[in-house]
Amino acid sequence: MGRPGFSPRGGGGDRGGFRGRGGGRGGFGGRGGGGDRGGFRGGRGGGRGGFRGGDRGGGFRGGDRGGRGGRGFGRGGRGGMRGGKKVVVEPHRHEGVFIARGKEDALVTLNMVPGESVYGEKRIAVEDGEKKIEYRAWNPFRSKLAAAILGGVDKIHIKPGCKVLYLGAASGTTVSHVSDIVGPEGLVYAVEFSHRSGRDLINVAKKRTNIIPIIEDARHPHKYRMLVGMVDTIFADVAQPDQARIVAINAHHFLKNGGHVVISIKANCIDSTAAPEAVFAEEVNKMKTEKIKPQEQLTLEPYERDHAVVVGCYRPPPKKTG
Amino acid sequence: MSNLRKAAKSGAKTYRERSQPESRAHLGFLEKKKDYKLRAEDYQRKQTTIKVLKRKALDRNPDEFYFNMVKTQKVDGEHRERESAEPETTETQLKMMLSQDQRYVNMKKTAELRKIEKLKSSLHMIGIDKKPQNKHIIFVDSKKEVQEFDPAKYFNTHPSLVDRVYNRPTIDALKRGDFLGDMSEEYIKEIEEEKEKKYKELARRIAREKELSIISQKMEMKKHLLDKKARKIKVQGETKITAAQYRWCYQRKR
Repeated sequence: MGRPGFSPRGGGGDRGGFRGRGGGRGGFGGRGGGGDRGGFRGGRGGGRGGFRGGDRGGGFRGGDRGGRGGRGFGRGGRGGMRGGKKVVVEPHRHEGVFIARGKEDALVTLNMVPGESVYGEKRIAVEDGEKKIEYRAWNPFRSKLAAAILGGVDKIHIKPGCKVLYLGAASGTTVSHVSDIVGPEGLVYAVEFSHRSGRDLINVAKKRTNIIPIIEDARHPHKYRMLVGMVDTIFADVAQPDQARIVAINAHHFLKNGGHVVISIKANCIDSTAAPEAVFAEEVNKMKTEKIKPQEQLTLEPYERDHAVVVGCYRPPPKKTG
Repeated sequence: MSNLRKAAKSGAKTYRERSQPESRAHLGFLEKKKDYKLRAEDYQRKQTTIKVLKRKALDRNPDEFYFNMVKTQKVDGEHRERESAEPETTETQLKMMLSQDQRYVNMKKTAELRKIEKLKSSLHMIGIDKKPQNKHIIFVDSKKEVQEFDPAKYFNTHPSLVDRVYNRPTIDALKRGDFLGDMSEEYIKEIEEEKEKKYKELARRIAREKELSIISQKMEMKKHLLDKKARKIKVQGETKITAAQYRWCYQRKR
């Protein structure tokens, strides 16, 4: 006898109920009708807008556009850094290195091959009177040497006209900046063991005549002794446990007396269990035994963690007394 | 005639309503008719709603059956949908859904990483820190030299520039004086603002990337936990910044 329970609501049972509900709704809409609906729709629209905004982020969108501008610059030579007057280039303590002050602050070198990026880095064109000069941004987050320069190293011993032996050249990104610094008068011997990155290195060297790429193991300098002459400076970024020895045998082969050694040390690659400071001190001691007199050492925060650059002098001339 | 009327209208003063004078500001916002209408309509609508709901409650038949009586259950005084006995998705569907979610998060993460790289390539944090973060050691020969050490003299620069690690021009270069660009004051201000905005964006993106990688790790863990048969020991529970850690017991493969 469940059904009779429904009957007091009027004939047709649930049908009546349905109609009743419909009526209720009609009454509801009748008065507030348009307004109510409008309000509902407005709310929904707002909600959706908010959602989209949250998802993509207004701020992020702006940034995205900025990025696109940068890309445009890469292609057309303008945009991004918004060339010309908008950037002021300040010469750095180290010859051949500059700091571009504009919308971005960037470490830059004078581009030896104007109009070409080596690894997709930004280029900054500056008009100096009638001349147009182009600089290339040098990313300290990627290059240890750039990080050392911004960290305040006293001397990098790489300057125009210099001959540099670069061990651990990888794809030639930093090498290209070193070649910018030494200029057409200087020479960079870039040694890299890996064939894969050596291929990129060779492509860089095709455009830059002052780079001599050597695809060889830096542990065996006698294999490339015919290619390399005496050099003024050795820069090493090999990240091997026997790094000090590698640098030393190369120094014995190619470095002139009183020449300099700049070594980038990654503490993890030498000894991942010891404290970084201890590792650096150990490496400095190893250098001392190989007739390399350490001159300065600096860590690379905030660009790299547990990295250090050590600058040393090979067989320094005896100090004059009195 | 109508032209004349229009011409007359163009000469007429535009109607401007006055707002609440300052002396009466303590009385609050001065309501005008259109404001009143909005308020009244809103009030009336609410009243009608209440009335309709009340009537519905009165008309309610306590013996009537509603499906929600079966479908929902009361949790903390709130009606929630009851968990159905049979799952809506199969295990493979669930796995697929999870993996696709994770793939989407990873995709967003890579996009973020690329943008961070791009920003970093031109924002080199030059002169950001007042105090250098790194450690610079100079090796000298004797203790006497240590005592007499003068950084300005060693770096061959002006004493005021010793802390400016990113570029300490030499004395010679300073004498030549080719260090200052000719930028107007207001342009410098403009680029400073722009730069600050970019650094903020970089910081936001780095934070977002971090969040995304945490999410991705948590999703990965969830996917592994779907396999109920594998024996595992919980090493550490989930936190805000890490996914839960489990150690799976080795199972011989046959």
